[in-house]
Amino acid sequence: MKRILTFSTYLVRNGGKSLPLIGVIVLAVLLIVGIVALMNSIPYSIRTIYKHSKNYTGLVPRSNASVDHNIRKEIRDGSPVPIEPILVIRGSQAQVKSIVGGWPFVVLAMRQDDMRRYAKRLNITKIEGRYPKAGEAEALISEPVARNLKLKLGDPLLKPDNADAYSMFPVKIVGIAQTDYWTMMMPYEYHEKYHFPPYDSALVFAKNPADQDKLDRWIHEKYRGANLRVFAYFLLEEETNGMFRILYQILNVVIFTLVAVITLMMAMLINIYQSQRIQEFGLLQALGYTRRDLIRRVLGESIAVVLVGWILGVAAAQGMLQLVKSRLMDPNAFALDVWDRSALLYTIPVPVMIFLAAVGAIWSRFRTFDPVSVVERRLA
Amino acid sequence: MIELRQASLVYKDQGKDLYACRHINLTVRPGEFLGILGPSGSGKSSLLYMMSGLKSPTSGEVLYKDQRISEMSEPERARLRLVDFGIVFQYPYLIGYLSALENVLVGSPGVGTREKAQELLLDLGIGHKSHRLPHELSGGERQRVCVARALLGGRSVIFADEPTASLDHTNGLAVVDLLVRHRGEGALVIVTHDPSMLAHANRVIHITDGEVVKEEVDPSFAPTGPIRETIGP
Ligand SMILES: Nc1ncnc2c1ncn2[C@@H]1O[C@H](COP(=O)(O)OP(=O)(O)OP(=O)(O)O)[C@@H](O)[C@H]1O
Ligand SMILES: [Mg+2]
Repeated sequence: MKRILTFSTYLVRNGGKSLPLIGVIVLAVLLIVGIVALMNSIPYSIRTIYKHSKNYTGLVPRSNASVDHNIRKEIRDGSPVPIEPILVIRGSQAQVKSIVGGWPFVVLAMRQDDMRRYAKRLNITKIEGRYPKAGEAEALISEPVARNLKLKLGDPLLKPDNADAYSMFPVKIVGIAQTDYWTMMMPYEYHEKYHFPPYDSALVFAKNPADQDKLDRWIHEKYRGANLRVFAYFLLEEETNGMFRILYQILNVVIFTLVAVITLMMAMLINIYQSQRIQEFGLLQALGYTRRDLIRRVLGESIAVVLVGWILGVAAAQGMLQLVKSRLMDPNAFALDVWDRSALLYTIPVPVMIFLAAVGAIWSRFRTFDPVSVVERRLA
Repeated sequence: MIELRQASLVYKDQGKDLYACRHINLTVRPGEFLGILGPSGSGKSSLLYMMSGLKSPTSGEVLYKDQRISEMSEPERARLRLVDFGIVFQYPYLIGYLSALENVLVGSPGVGTREKAQELLLDLGIGHKSHRLPHELSGGERQRVCVARALLGGRSVIFADEPTASLDHTNGLAVVDLLVRHRGEGALVIVTHDPSMLAHANRVIHITDGEVVKEEVDPSFAPTGPIRETIGP
């Protein structure tokens, strides 16, 4: 196929046919990336919002038993990994917003030194404003929380007339921490005086952050069935995965159906376009082009269409996600992964299936193809 | 140059053998203008397909330069049509998205040059239309592009299967005339049911029901070596 008929000749000169083919692939990829990335953004949000829990094991009493010094001693003595001094805290309920509604978030009530230790653990180095003072109705939040709840310094985080984030007095924000972590803190002493329940919880930090998961699992095992609730990142992961398993199964069926429909449609289109080229194929074979020349060229065309379509589709999807992220998600601190690998992986079946459909069409066409029947005008 | 020995082409017709060509012995000599004449359904096209390697004989053999065509691989046979043979089909098939010039070049990739192709089109009287797409050409013009395609690259045999069927008589004669004048040193084999197209043939073979029934030879024709045109200016 030297010079005159390169694999791009047909595609370039028959834009009316190659562009719709490419367009279908672009739209399919765009659709799939959009669906999957938005879907993924929900568990991704959970992981982002509660990421702070990666840094500690949380222990919360289930009934009227505080996480008292006996339990703390048990942990100190039994821990399989070296740990930091245990933080004694209390917690109050608040809410953050997600694309699927409000989610609970805990305001950690901590003593003055503990706030600083906790902040250090979260790598918080810069704070706009200051830490809340002991006993005052004050709070410190992190930047994503401020963006999510549209709060600034001086606004109340908790207030008497907010059922989801209640306190007897307006708890004013006095500091905004510059970090990716989502966090809310208030003084232990204020909580002790005005909040319920009057029981202590605890945060346990492994000395080495890499040991935290091991510590998490050990504490979880140790207090299985006890009068204590354990919060750990791996539990969050398990719960999230469990929660979304069915949803992802549905997603798989939807994507599979979508790919099947698109492939079928494309197979039909490819078949029609190739039927229209029967004369060309027959003529070229009669002129002395081998079947291999022709198959190679048509396969080259298919690969070009599929690749160009997929690449444009991914680029378009990337642009769309970027736009959604900057216009809709970021202003609310909603998490969205623009470079979502799994969303891209979900699109791979599109080019692959369409290419296979093309190969099938080509194979069935050239298997029993007799150029004489074309030049004799018996096939036209 | 091309030799058929007891060559037969058999089609299956409702389980029965149908001889499109039956035990044909025939030689195409270098440089000659051979006409094959016969009524519709007599097996002319079948004979031409065997000679040009588009179909393999069911029995007997076809040789080109003493090589059995049926023993060649598909790519080798294809190469014969790409390089050694030029074929003008009954219908002026062109590729719709290529210009007239490109359609000429497509017949001999890597051999024919753009300049040669343009020259040929000029000789055939459609040089100024070489940029046009096939649908912008008349039937006669399209057939002339097909003629140029078959001629480009200096073929040793040029086959034409009813090249005039889609044209009126005058234009048909003109196409035959073009083939005769521009074939250079190549042999020319024209298949037709119209004797007037073969007025200047060196040899005419009559076939009926797949068999050669008569051969007419122009006594002035010397089959050795290349010959110049016996007609034309
Ligand atoms: N593919 C085929 N299958 C079965 N029979 C065929 C096939 N092609 C041709 N024939 C038969 O073979 C015989 C010779 O056909 P061929 O096409 O060689 O005739 P022809 O002399 O070229 O006729 P025409 O002048 O009409 O083109 C005819 O009887 C035809 O019906
Ligand atoms: Mg015929």
